[in-house]
Amino acid sequence: MKNKIYLGLLIIAFIFQGSFFRVEAKEFDYKSAEFKAVASQFACTCGCGQDHYECDPNTCSLTTEFKKDLVGMMKKGWDKDKIREYYVNIYGEEILTAPEKSGFSLTAWAIPFAVLGVAATALFFIIRKWVKRKGKVELITDYQNTEDEVEGEILSSMIDEERKKYL
Amino acid sequence: MFLFANTTIYIGLAVAIYSLLIITLGISTKNQRLINSGKGGMIALFVCAAMAMLSLFYLLATSQFQYEYVTDYTSSELPIIYKLTALWAGNAGSLLLWTFFLTLYSIMIAFSRKMKGNPMVPYISAILLANAVFFFFILGFVAKPFVLLDTIPIEGKGLNPMLQNPGMIIHPVTLYLGYVGLAVPFAFAMSALILKNVDDFWIKMTRRWTIIAWLFLSLGNIFGGQWAYVELGWGGYWAWDPVENASFMPWLTATAFLHSVMIQERKNMLKIWNISLIIVSYALTLFGTFLVRSGVLTSVHAFANSNLGLYFLIFMGVAVILALYVLMSRYNMLKRSAGEFQSFVSKESSFLINNLLLVGAAFAVFWGTIFPLVSEAVRGTKVTVGLPFFNKVEAPILLSMMFVMAVCPMLAWQRSTIKNLRKNFLIPSILAVAGMVLMIVLGIQKAWAVIGYGVIILLLITHFLEFYRGVKARRKMTKEAPITALYRLMIRNRRRYGGYIVHLGIAFITMGIIGSQNYDLETMKTVSLGQSIELKDYRINYDRLDQKKEGINDIVYADVTVFRDGKKLGTFQPEKVFYGNWEQPSSEVAIISSVKEDLYIVLSAWEDDGKATFVVKVNPMMNWLWFGSFMIVIGALFAVWNGKYGNVTPRYTGVRKEVS
Repeated sequence: MKNKIYLGLLIIAFIFQGSFFRVEAKEFDYKSAEFKAVASQFACTCGCGQDHYECDPNTCSLTTEFKKDLVGMMKKGWDKDKIREYYVNIYGEEILTAPEKSGFSLTAWAIPFAVLGVAATALFFIIRKWVKRKGKVELITDYQNTEDEVEGEILSSMIDEERKKYL
Repeated sequence: MFLFANTTIYIGLAVAIYSLLIITLGISTKNQRLINSGKGGMIALFVCAAMAMLSLFYLLATSQFQYEYVTDYTSSELPIIYKLTALWAGNAGSLLLWTFFLTLYSIMIAFSRKMKGNPMVPYISAILLANAVFFFFILGFVAKPFVLLDTIPIEGKGLNPMLQNPGMIIHPVTLYLGYVGLAVPFAFAMSALILKNVDDFWIKMTRRWTIIAWLFLSLGNIFGGQWAYVELGWGGYWAWDPVENASFMPWLTATAFLHSVMIQERKNMLKIWNISLIIVSYALTLFGTFLVRSGVLTSVHAFANSNLGLYFLIFMGVAVILALYVLMSRYNMLKRSAGEFQSFVSKESSFLINNLLLVGAAFAVFWGTIFPLVSEAVRGTKVTVGLPFFNKVEAPILLSMMFVMAVCPMLAWQRSTIKNLRKNFLIPSILAVAGMVLMIVLGIQKAWAVIGYGVIILLLITHFLEFYRGVKARRKMTKEAPITALYRLMIRNRRRYGGYIVHLGIAFITMGIIGSQNYDLETMKTVSLGQSIELKDYRINYDRLDQKKEGINDIVYADVTVFRDGKKLGTFQPEKVFYGNWEQPSSEVAIISSVKEDLYIVLSAWEDDGKATFVVKVNPMMNWLWFGSFMIVIGALFAVWNGKYGNVTPRYTGVRKEVS
């Protein structure tokens, strides 16, 4: 009986061996969105100036191995942050395509907005100063809407045209 | 030939130095004869640069491999067009091209009809000549185009295949025309300051030249992006590479200047700011060159590393210090004429916010570009600042910019009241919000896309209203047919409506960017002959793999038949080219373009059994991007065109001097 069960299992394994192989050999899509999220975090160091998602494995052996390692980690269930942490621990921040948002590198992200904020505040005060100065000196004339303005411009250009014709 | 070619460079240097000195002497002694001699020298300088260019063209075309430059960048089997365009493939040749454009612009200004009798001419000439001295010095002693080799090689190293593309013929030329073009407004600004005269004439001339430089810079960036998309096989068009950033920064600051100068024109304000923008734009062109040629940053734009960048840095430093000195020495004069604003909400204020955002965007690009150096200097770690950083930092700034662009045309000069705002913005805002809701209902749910397209709807409506109201107002007075009224309205206000066409172009480009960045799809699959790849509505049947020979190059190609929703679109041939004289192969992609999207097929690899690996990408709205680029060019040309109406340059009314 036992032998029959073993034989049955062997036959089942034989029948489904193709599908086991197919599962094993199923091609990984290196251009999938999931892989992009992981691989585009890392800069390729072959000199191509691209990240490991874009770098062509046909011309760069470095990225071929790197991509395989990434797929291995993804299959282990690691998410992109864990994979990132793993590589940063080994190679340092240099391997990333963008600076970390902590420590000194935070300044890379923060300074543009900080400068913009300071400049916006300065601009606010400058405009306020100019508006106040004007307000004291002159009575405010009625608003000039866009339509009036366009009419005015058209009229002046027509007058200019007539002037050129006769003068 | 060797003697002649080198003589053009060294005589050019001597003539440039002579002309600069004689013009300076002419200015200080108010001697017109000396000025005329210097101006004659400028023609001689142009002839020298042109002769040097022609010499190099001749050497390249006739494959004179005894010259280092010819050996480094060409080979005998190269098509003649690429032999010639190899002139700007390397450091020395591209700087020669730059010098040629500089001398060309110089004589265009010095002998321009509009500038006849203008006392600014000697000053402008002297400033441009100082630039010419620097460039001829570089050509004579640092990046020499005519160096002979000790032994004559039988064959040249060939031109990088990536550069053998029509886009690459024109991309560097337009970019250099833009870079050199920004030296002209700089020279105008400095001359005006020295002459203590910043009047209408200065504004008109400077603005015109800035638009020309801006147009060429735009074209340079567009052609570069188009080349990258077609030639590099990665399906993208902008990678925030340091070299791309180098040309984007002056583009942003020049754009800021083109807007803020309107406030100077209207209200006689912001003079210091405007001149600073011109100085910064000019300095950034030199800074960009320093970045590209010094090798301090890793870039895909492979110019040989040399100490050339250092010379540019020194020249930039000297130019900026001198410019700031002149600016400071005239500070009181510029400050005296400051005007006032009537309200917070006005067209003037929106221009200032526009400037804040454009200069802020330029600063963010600058900061990101130099951050690897800052990081290395501070803590010894050279981090990479790539695409994810720039996309995240620039997206909110540039989107805010789009919002200002949408709102600004409908704001009144002086002040906009609540009534005015309601009248102008109520309907456009309702429509924009309705559009955003519709997008969400239709399944577009990415926040950036919804906000971005919402802002663009607002922009399109406000710009339509500008045209509509203009036509309506004109028709009220003239009773013309709508098309005639639109035509006449536009040609009589070239600058304004040219600007609006550029805005619409930017809106189309933005739509293309948002679409292609947020909704692109990509897959990489290995398939056997007869099998197919499916992506979105497309089915790509892999029919054949074969090989052919073209000259010394071997080409492996695949025949693929593409179906969309079951309907055959045709048979296409993505290729991989192996060059006889270049190590790296390149991909010739198959692009099936439509208004909605591009299907982008790359033959990536193959095996002996006929299996092939393809990268297939769907890039939405790419044609919108190219169409927007086309509109930018049309708009800029329309604005700068010397029409019959309303574009008359005012007469120079400033300080009179004895020399001109």
